[in-house]
Amino acid sequence: MPIKPSKITPEKIYKKRRTFIAAGLGILALPIIDKGYAMLNTQQDGTDQPFPPIESMPEAADTVLKPTPLETITSYNNYYEFGYGKDDPGEADKTLITSPWSVEIGGPGADNPGIYDIAEIKGEHAIENHIHRFRCVEAWSMVIPWNGIKLADIIRSAQPNSKAKFVRFTTLNDPQQMPNAGWPGGPYVEGLTIEEAMNPLTMMATGIYDKPLEQQNGAPLRLVVPWKYGFKYIKSIVKIELVEHMPHGTWWKQNDREYGFYANVNPRFDHPRWSQATERVIGERGRKPTLLFNGYADQVAHMYPDPDNRLYFY
Amino acid sequence: MEIDLGQVIGFTRGMKVHSISLSTRKHVLNMSLCLGLVWGIYDAFTGPDLVSELRDFTGRYGAYLLLISLMFTPLSKHWNWVRRNLTIRRNVGVWGFVYGAIHLLVWIVLEFAYDWALMWDEITGNLFILLGVLAFVLLLPLAITSNRWGLRRLGYRPWQSLHTATYIAVPAVIAHHFMAQKSDVVEPILMGLVLVLLLVWRYRHAH
Repeated sequence: MPIKPSKITPEKIYKKRRTFIAAGLGILALPIIDKGYAMLNTQQDGTDQPFPPIESMPEAADTVLKPTPLETITSYNNYYEFGYGKDDPGEADKTLITSPWSVEIGGPGADNPGIYDIAEIKGEHAIENHIHRFRCVEAWSMVIPWNGIKLADIIRSAQPNSKAKFVRFTTLNDPQQMPNAGWPGGPYVEGLTIEEAMNPLTMMATGIYDKPLEQQNGAPLRLVVPWKYGFKYIKSIVKIELVEHMPHGTWWKQNDREYGFYANVNPRFDHPRWSQATERVIGERGRKPTLLFNGYADQVAHMYPDPDNRLYFY
Repeated sequence: MEIDLGQVIGFTRGMKVHSISLSTRKHVLNMSLCLGLVWGIYDAFTGPDLVSELRDFTGRYGAYLLLISLMFTPLSKHWNWVRRNLTIRRNVGVWGFVYGAIHLLVWIVLEFAYDWALMWDEITGNLFILLGVLAFVLLLPLAITSNRWGLRRLGYRPWQSLHTATYIAVPAVIAHHFMAQKSDVVEPILMGLVLVLLLVWRYRHAH
């Protein structure tokens, strides 16, 4: 029978203990205080506080991109409709029916709207191959050899009019095909400005390593915007709309302090909870410096007039 | 003598006959948690990303174990089987620390590859990381003295007041765990609730 601590400890220590316990409760409240403080700051100063000017990062050491193995690309994924864990989407049953698969292209900004099957879309436009860096907002990265179509080609065939200022994408949200379709963020929505969408870097991926996209990688059609964080790469797209107003993306809606509309990669603007200065290359030890616009500054920097505005970089 | 699995796990209440001695139960617990660690490491090595799997697995289960170690005292007032197994608390706590220490080692060796300057930036720049490091620093002397030598060396009362540092360290661990999540915060919130109940209970029963 152990001795009851309360029988032998003097009152002095009990008083100390109360202080310890109160301090413990205080620490538990820290994340809430942290968030509250940041919200207060945002309200007072707005989001565009002055930051030191951005210098372009040295890219010399990174000119030869070594693609991540397909096995890694298909087993380390964020696809919450198939589960919250990184290995959940890869391990999930292949329940997504990707053929036939119809994509609705329309919205007030399209003079030639229509509903197309994925096979038609693939058949109509030239398939290109590009090896791009992929940088997740969680500060990890891969290198992915994509196959796909220029988004600009798809948009041009929808005949955009003057109302087409933004492009709004929507992911399938079907509980019969996706075990976690009911997650709070669904249906997943993402958006680009029309200028970003027409940029030659912007792709609609249909494959990786010359193989059709796997379910966990966003089959059969996925957005690729290499200079932005991974959450912008919306998967399993069923709807593309040309719209007048800035679309309210899923992560932006979930947490507007941590995720915004532009989400351009920038090592100088930290995520509220971690640094974006470096990234962990999946499958490798240690970290490497993150590049401004993920290394694509030459092709995209002209679209963002104020490089010191945090608005563009989260 | 018959082995009663319920006794081993500790889920039967009101049983007077100990079919297995306390030290055997401790060995079973130690071996299970050691095997759990080995299994987790094996699982991480066979997965797509060793670093994050090893880091997240040890961090999560370390936090569970530390929280469980704090639950022993309040629960022992209500359940005899907890009271009879009260000294297992120390094993659970020390294993929580071991998982946490491996978690930190993975961060230092695999995630940051000994880049101390970068790690310092992370620690000073992010509350999330700072809380994790704070918890480790607080738990280290506790783990070192969690044995008969430590108790004898310090004397019971100083030992006990030193070990009240768990009431700062474990909240720091759970706040760190909460801040590590991107959207699925139900589990750390539940852990936080359990901890708040526990702390309130301890506060009220301090006299």
